[in-house]
This record gives sequence, structure tokens and C-alpha cells, in this order.
Amino acid sequence: MFFLSLIEHTLRLPPHLLDLPLDEAIKGELEHLFLDKVIPNLGLCISVYDLRSIDGGFIFPGDGASTYTVIIYFKKKFLSNVFKFMLLWQVVCRLLMFRPFVGEVLSGKVDSSDMNGLRLSVGFFKDIYVPVHFLPNPSKFGEDGRWVWMYEGDELSIENEEEIRFRIQSVKYPAIPIEPEKDAKPFAPMIITASIDHDGLGPVAWWV
Amino acid sequence: MKVIKANAGALTNFEVLDFLRSRGASNPTRVIGSVAPSEFQVYDYLLQSSACNQTRESVNEFLCKCEKFDLAKAEKLNIINIRPSSEVEIDPIIEQCENRMGAEEVQVLVKTVVEVLPPTKPDNTDEDKIIQDQETMEAD
Repeated sequence: MFFLSLIEHTLRLPPHLLDLPLDEAIKGELEHLFLDKVIPNLGLCISVYDLRSIDGGFIFPGDGASTYTVIIYFKKKFLSNVFKFMLLWQVVCRLLMFRPFVGEVLSGKVDSSDMNGLRLSVGFFKDIYVPVHFLPNPSKFGEDGRWVWMYEGDELSIENEEEIRFRIQSVKYPAIPIEPEKDAKPFAPMIITASIDHDGLGPVAWWV
Repeated sequence: MKVIKANAGALTNFEVLDFLRSRGASNPTRVIGSVAPSEFQVYDYLLQSSACNQTRESVNEFLCKCEKFDLAKAEKLNIINIRPSSEVEIDPIIEQCENRMGAEEVQVLVKTVVEVLPPTKPDNTDEDKIIQDQETMEAD
């Protein structure tokens, strides 16, 4: 469910972070950039796990406040102190990603149900869908808006907010549509398709 | 951004919870510290999961004890995360469970899981209370 991914990123530190230690400032900037965002093929970024290396780059011509350049020029003593915030930093870090693998069993909650199937949630991520063909067979959609599994004469319903186990079928990272359709659903950068059509899957209450 | 290594190792839910705790997510006020709101959501989810009472020792012990079963790394990881406490719960986690493991072997594995990995709610105070209430009601 959680993986580490090693990435390299070049970033510029704005001067207002001058009072922070270098690693803290860089970590803060990285968090600002990546946290709670989906990176295609890597998953949803949960945390910046650690920094592996920080390399000082170079100043782009005309970048940064000119006053600092003056300080660097005249007071060489403070070079290291001020210089570092003028540079572009090349950082290698490990990000903690939420990226379930195909076949993995996760535990979550039922977010909502409709004619097309279920929408599930793991609290911090809600774009998990169970289409009708991955529901246990035979199932029917009741008039009260719940899915019911018809099991040997019994009717086992799937309530909203109920704890549910599901198996990952696929993880997709759709491209951002250039011209979104008028009634399109809000864009989701990462969509997980899950199945509950197996013994032991579905609401925990069915099996315990 | 350049991806050097997309998969630099998997973490169990427990390790993620431990990492967030070390960042200060267990602070009840949730104001002080450098934990982002999205990280708190993950923390809250993990607190509800089987990882909440696991320790480094219990996970290591489980990994030692399940050596004798022919399990893939991903399956061990999944078992630690879900903590299946019955045969039917373990079945979807292990690929082709019936062909690879005999019914007895599965039973031993479930027993190992239940023994080594702590349950989600060790302090059954609520359940105990209900039982006590029932007992007093019956006594009345």
C-alpha cells in the first residue's frame, strides 16, 4: 500500500526562508510542492520521507534579490550563510507514496453506492471504485440505494460507512483533459478499480 | 522532477504509522509541529487499522515465524497490514491459496497471525462493559 520513491528535484529557495536551517527549508519547500498530490505512476504523495543529498547548483542570471548578491560580493565571511539561499538546489529525496499494488487487499469504508457500483474510501483517498461486474454475483441494486448480495436465499446488504475489504484490480493515472466535458465528474488524477467478488472480500461483517 | 527509482522499497502500515508518530502526529493538540493536515488523515486511517498496536518486535517475530510458509514478500506485507484472523480472510490475500497451501497449513498460518500480531482493540473495555451489563441485567 505504501512505497518509497527516490526522486531528484531542482528547486529554488526563496529568500524569506533564510532564517531556517538548510535541510528544514528544503524539506518544507518539497512538502509544499508534493504533499497530498498525485505524481503519475508513483501514486499519492503522503510525506517527504528523508533527504538523501543536497547539491548546490548555480545562480541563474538575474535571479534572486540583488541586495543579497551585493552582500555575497562584499562580505565573503557570510558567503556560506547567504549564498545557499541564492542557489538552485538539486535535492535527492525519498517520498512516501500511497500506491497499492494490483492484487493487494485493503481495508476501507463504503463512501457511497449508486447504479454503477460502489465508491470506497480509505480516509485520505476516495477515488476507489467497485464497478458492478466486480460485485459478488448475483447482486442487485435495491430501491433504498444499497447494493445487496443474494447469497443462497439470504440478502446481504452493503451499508454506507461500513468497513469493507477490497482487492485492487487496477490503478490508473488519467491525463488531464484539455477540454473537459460539460457534465464531467471532477477530475481525479489517480483512479483505483477494486473488486469484492471473492471469498473474504466485501463488508467485514459478512465474514467475521 | 526526475524519478530515479520509482520503487525504493515498500513500507508496512505499521512503519508508516511509526514514521508519522515520530514526526509528532500523536500530539493531541494537532497545532504544534510540522505535520500536514493530509498526513493527519493518513494517521487517522492507520489508527483504525490493524497497525495501531503493532510493534517492531511483533512484526519481526511474525516475519521469522512465517518463513516456513512459501509466501511472497507482497503477501507477507499484506498479511501484516490486514491481520486476517480467519481462513476466509486470508484466502483473497494469498494468490491461488488452495493450490499452494493445504487447509491445515492455512490454519497454522492464521493461528500464527492471531498469536503474534496484536488485535486492533486490545482493551476490550467496551465489550467487557456490555458483557458486564448483560450479566447484571440477567442477575436482575
